Order: sequence, then C-alpha cells, then structure tokens
Amino acid sequence: MIRVEQLHKSFGAVQAVQDVSFGAADGRITALLGPNGAGKSTTLRILATVLRADRGQAWIDGHDVARDAVAVRRRIGVLPHAAGLYDRLTARENIAYYGELHGLKRAPLAARIDALVERLEMGEFAHRRVAGFSQGQRIKVALARALVHDPRTVLLDEPTNGLDVMATRALREIIRGLRAEGRCVLFSSHVMQEVASLCDDVVIIGHGRVLFDGHLEALRARTGETDLEEAFIRVIDAHPEAERRAGERP
Amino acid sequence: MSGFLVVLAKECRDNIRDRRTIISSFSLAILGPAAFAGLMALVLTTTVGESREPFELVVVGAGNAPNLVRYLGQQNVTLSERELAEPREAVENGIYDLVLVIGADYGERLLAGEVAPVELIYDSSALGKSRRNQLLARQMLAAYGQQLGLLRLQLRGVDPRITAPLYVEEVDVASPAARALSVLATLPYLLVLVIFMGGFYLAIDATAGEREHGSLEPLLSQPIARAQLVLGKLVAASLFSAASLGLFLLSLAISVPLVPLEQIGMSLSISALTCLQIFGVAVPLILFGAALLTVVASFAKSYKEAQTYLTVVILVPTVPLIITQLLNLEASTPLMLVPSLSQASLITALIKGEDLDWGHLALSYLSTSTLAAVLAWVAIRLYRRERILI
Repeated sequence: MIRVEQLHKSFGAVQAVQDVSFGAADGRITALLGPNGAGKSTTLRILATVLRADRGQAWIDGHDVARDAVAVRRRIGVLPHAAGLYDRLTARENIAYYGELHGLKRAPLAARIDALVERLEMGEFAHRRVAGFSQGQRIKVALARALVHDPRTVLLDEPTNGLDVMATRALREIIRGLRAEGRCVLFSSHVMQEVASLCDDVVIIGHGRVLFDGHLEALRARTGETDLEEAFIRVIDAHPEAERRAGERP
Repeated sequence: MSGFLVVLAKECRDNIRDRRTIISSFSLAILGPAAFAGLMALVLTTTVGESREPFELVVVGAGNAPNLVRYLGQQNVTLSERELAEPREAVENGIYDLVLVIGADYGERLLAGEVAPVELIYDSSALGKSRRNQLLARQMLAAYGQQLGLLRLQLRGVDPRITAPLYVEEVDVASPAARALSVLATLPYLLVLVIFMGGFYLAIDATAGEREHGSLEPLLSQPIARAQLVLGKLVAASLFSAASLGLFLLSLAISVPLVPLEQIGMSLSISALTCLQIFGVAVPLILFGAALLTVVASFAKSYKEAQTYLTVVILVPTVPLIITQLLNLEASTPLMLVPSLSQASLITALIKGEDLDWGHLALSYLSTSTLAAVLAWVAIRLYRRERILI
C-alpha cells in the first residue's frame, strides 16, 4: 500500500514534482499517467528510496520512504526505466544477485528463481548471459529480479517501453497476475490505451502536479468522454494555469 | 552471506568474465617483468659481451711501423692491412669504422726522437660499437706511446716514475647487488603502476559502468547498507590489484634469473621470501589505490569519462617516484608518510637485501592505511548522496 502526501522535488531551477499526493491500494493496479517530463519517474524514484523529496512524505505499508528506507527497500520490487541488468551474468545470476542482497538463503532462493523462470516463461534463456537479449527478455529478467524477494509492492517505470505487441500482451498478463496475488502495483505510462486495458485506478500527472486521481470510470464520467484518450487530453488541457507556469520556467 | 560478501562475489565474477578487464589488469603484470628482463639482457650483452670481442682496425701504411703493428696484433684487435687512397672517405661512407693511417715518415721521425704522428679516423656521430672501439683503439695507441716514452727516458738515464707523480687506484665499494639495483631502479615505479592497473577497470566498471548501464539505480533500492555496497566494490578492486601484483612478482621471479647479470659480476636473486615481503609492504598501497580509483571513478558518468580521469590519477603516484629517483632521496620519516613513495623506498631496500626498518614499515602502514580509510569514507559518503544517480 502506498500513500503519498504533498511531495515536492526540484533539480536546480527545475521543479520536477510539486505538491503530489495520491494513494495506491493492495490488490489493485494503479497507473501513474502523464506526458513525458511530467514527474512520473521522479515520483517513482522517491518511492524507490533512491531520491529524497525536498518536502512532503510518502509511506509504503506504513514505512516512511525517507526515514525508514531500509524497511521500505525490503518491501518493494522496482523495475526501473532502463532494465539495468549485468550483461556478463546469466539471467539466473542477475536474479540471484538481488535475492542474495535481500538475504535469501541458497536453497529457497533457487526454488524461488525456478518458480519465477517458469511463471515468466524464461526457461529458454535463463542460463544464458544477458548480453544479446531482446528487450522483451530483458524486461522479464528485470521483473523476475524485482519479484525475487516476493515484495508486497511493485513499482514499474514504463515497463512496456520498447516491447512488441506479443511481449506487451504477455507483460500485461503478468501484471494482472501480480494483482491477483494481492500485491500493490504502481506503474507509470504515457500511453492511455495501455492504462485503460490494465488499470483499476489512475493518477494523472502533468507538470509535476496531480491533475486527476480516481477510478477509470470516474475519469470517464468527469470528462464526459467515453474515449479515454480524449479524457486524458481534456484533463491535461483543463489546467492552463499549470501550462502557463510551466512555460515561464527557465 | 552479508551484503558486503554478496557484492564482492558478484563484482569478481562479473569482471573475471570481462576480457577487457582481464587484459588491462594483468597484461602489464605478466609481460612487464619479461620485457624488463629482456631489455636488461639486451643492454648487458651489447655493452658487456661485446667488449670481449676483438674489433676490426684497418691499418694503412702498416709497413711504415712494423713494431707498432706487431704490438697492436698482440691486443684484442683484428688487424687488416689495406692500401687505401682515400681512408677518410672510406670512414665517411661507412665502409670501415676505424682506420689507422701511418705516414711514410713515421720511422724516420721516431728514430730521430721526434713526435711521430699517426692518424686515427673515425666517425663520432656513429652510435654504439664504433664509439667504444675508437676509445679502445686510442687507449692502445696511448699505451704504446707511453711505453716508448718510458724507454726513451730510461735511455737518457732518467727515472721513468718522474712522469707519473700520481697513481690513482680505484676502489668501488658498491655490492654486486647494489650495482644491479641501479639497473633495477625502475622496478618500484613499475610495481606501483602494476598495483594501480590491477584495479583500474574493475573500479570503473563497478562505479561509472553501473551508472552508464542503468544498473546502479535498482541496486541502490536494495536493502544493503551503502557502506557494505561500497566496501564490497572497493575490496573487489583490491583483490584484482593484489592478483596483479602477485602475478607481477611471480613473473619477475621467473624472468630475473634469465638476465645474464653474472657477466658483469652482479648477483640478484628475488627469492620467494623477498616476493612475500614485497607483497606485505604493498598491502596498504593496494587498498589505497582501490579506494582512490573508486572515489575518482564515482564522479564520472561514463566509462570513457572515468578512463580519462583515472589515466591521470594513475600517473600521480608515479610522479613522486620519478622525482625521488632524480633527487636520489634517502629513506626518511617524512617520506614514509607518502603513499607509493614509502612503499617504493621500502621495496628498494628489500631488493638490495638490506634489513627492513620496522619503524619505517609501521609508519608506512599507518599513514597509507589511514589515507585509504579516509578515501573509502569519502566513497561511502558519495554513494549516500542521491547525486550519484543524477
């Protein structure tokens, strides 16, 4: 479960996130939706404890991401924007490295990796070195690595980027599976169709601010649009104030 | 397994599989001593071995001075008597290295007790052999001249010793090993370079490399203390450095006995014990090097950037070595405070076969280890800041 209250984060003069608040529940898929540069990645990185917010707080399962970072790290699985695998290690070794960092013992770790390899259909390439893997294979390995310690909360930063249709479809099935297991899934995207086909809740971010937070149906109802693409654009456009201020920034 | 060991094991496994790391870490260590020994053997055989070979001296007008020619014939020279119209040109054109021209009036002048000129033609711009041969030829001619001079004095009833008021006896007290050391003076320099090269690529791969490949961000969201993460990487770099130094010493122990040092009356053996002692002295420097490389590489965003920085960093510890060699500094207390310098000075003493100064050793250990710890602390601080990702 994720709770975010009034997060602010700036890099030099650029305000990446300003006053972002939202929640994501267990057993649901929550999308962080917004155009490029909206502040999605920054928000996810604060939740992943690798960046510190300038102001505001965030909790994962009740643990403060800034003050209690190690407890948070034990409870989250992170798939960053770039998969970030080690090319000279095999898929299994990549997964095992993170399992060991989480303190998993040898035998349970091996069993856990076996289960992930089967579930993510990685049998063909699990023993091969990662160099030369396709983007789809890389995402699978990175996802397995993020899930190796069975985290309750999963953070995915644009996971379908660069995937073909088949791989995207397979990944959606996997993400639905995570929801079925009762996990809290937060993933960022800039593709409305993807969000529509997968998510329960949606948080729209534009220019570092939350523009909408609620169920998909509520979004349709609020904008009076059945086409979600249109609904998305209406929400972004409905905040000329934010746009104007963004334009003024150096 | 603690996080530290997990990181250490992963970095070692990862980098052992990288051909680039292996080549860069260990090629200098293995080939350095071999090249070094080869060079030394080459220098020795060309300067020492050759002095025993007779050299060729062309004599023009040999019939004018049969006694001189007979004298030269008894020396370590191959005489060839020729009649050359233009002996000067023959040397200029490189047909002969050394030509002795004896004039037709030589015998006449000699009999009259006058100064009898002979002409020694050589090219002083020619390198190597011919310059040395020319010196030897001059020495032989001077010795012959002196003999004649002494005889003349004796004939006139003068004590020949009157011309030699001073006699210089040369006593060289340098031990054979110490003389060999002047040849081996570059060894500490090479050794420091080997230690730094050993950890070079691993330090880059574990820091700037992780950043460039995007693997640092997920790693930093793992539940491992930053100190353990950084120390794991740092010790991995140290292990590669240590392996590099070990290979270097092994290669040195094998190749040095192949150098014909006995030809010049020198002896130098690098025993297994000496190797162990050198290794022991170098341990703090290994840690220092790994920490220094890790800190500097952490500032770089990419492999290339890190490589540029570290190439400069590697040169830094070798600069004081070159300076002290030029100034010929003695081992002293302040010297022991400087990493690389203190080790170089202690290792030089070990190779010379001198006893270790335990006070100096303790000081070297203490100062270099302290600096290594400070650098490690800086590295940990760097990884605690979020800027490491941005």
